[in-house]
Amino acid sequence: MKEIWAVIRRNKLPDTKKALEETGSFAMSIHSVEGRGRQGGVIFREIDPYVPEHYEGVVRVKPTPSRYALAHTLTKAVTYVPKRLLVLVVPDEAVRDVIDALVRVNRTGHPGDGKVFVMPVEDAVRIRTGERGTGAVQ
Amino acid sequence: MKMIRAFIRPEKEQETVLALEGAGFPALTKFHVFGRGKDGGLKVGSVHYDELPKVLLMVVVEDEQAPRVVDVVKEKARTGEIGDGKIFVSAVEEAHTIRTGEKGL
Repeated sequence: MKEIWAVIRRNKLPDTKKALEETGSFAMSIHSVEGRGRQGGVIFREIDPYVPEHYEGVVRVKPTPSRYALAHTLTKAVTYVPKRLLVLVVPDEAVRDVIDALVRVNRTGHPGDGKVFVMPVEDAVRIRTGERGTGAVQ
Repeated sequence: MKMIRAFIRPEKEQETVLALEGAGFPALTKFHVFGRGKDGGLKVGSVHYDELPKVLLMVVVEDEQAPRVVDVVKEKARTGEIGDGKIFVSAVEEAHTIRTGEKGL
């Protein structure tokens, strides 16, 4: 069993879900996350049209007393790009298909396409039946 | 590769992220999570807070860089009080960059 984490663009989610269904992986958790990649949170307007206009200007310093004390030491505010995170746990033999599908659908060739991480999972339990191991995620 | 998941105080997020960037790790993913630690939450007077807000920073780096990331987070997110959070390091077998379709970070 492997756990696959895929950080993808928000507007690619419907296509990704469709493609994953075609490979037979219906089960997934979807998180709404913010993040930054190697470019350090640069938003490319022409390829990220779904990012709100005001987003870049948001100063992410929380106005708490401890923050005020720190404000003068901060050189710049940290900016994040909104992303979707898919978490799938799949049997070993399905890993290739799932990664291929994720890369094929989400690839635009521009920075910000995201990453796919593959991690080992030791055990899984289907709560309804108590079934363990690979059978629980099939 | 290693995945580092750091549960830190929300007010320490900015400082930690800037320090990570300064140390050469600009890439991370941020989650807003709720949880409790060993003490089972926080008790203020008669009010018991069962779930406390934390920020989860997820960074994936090469094996040899993992201790450096852990050190930076430990240094920046620390206040010495209960509730500073935990750092977990787990193995990542492979990573794919979607833009290029290649393996690796």
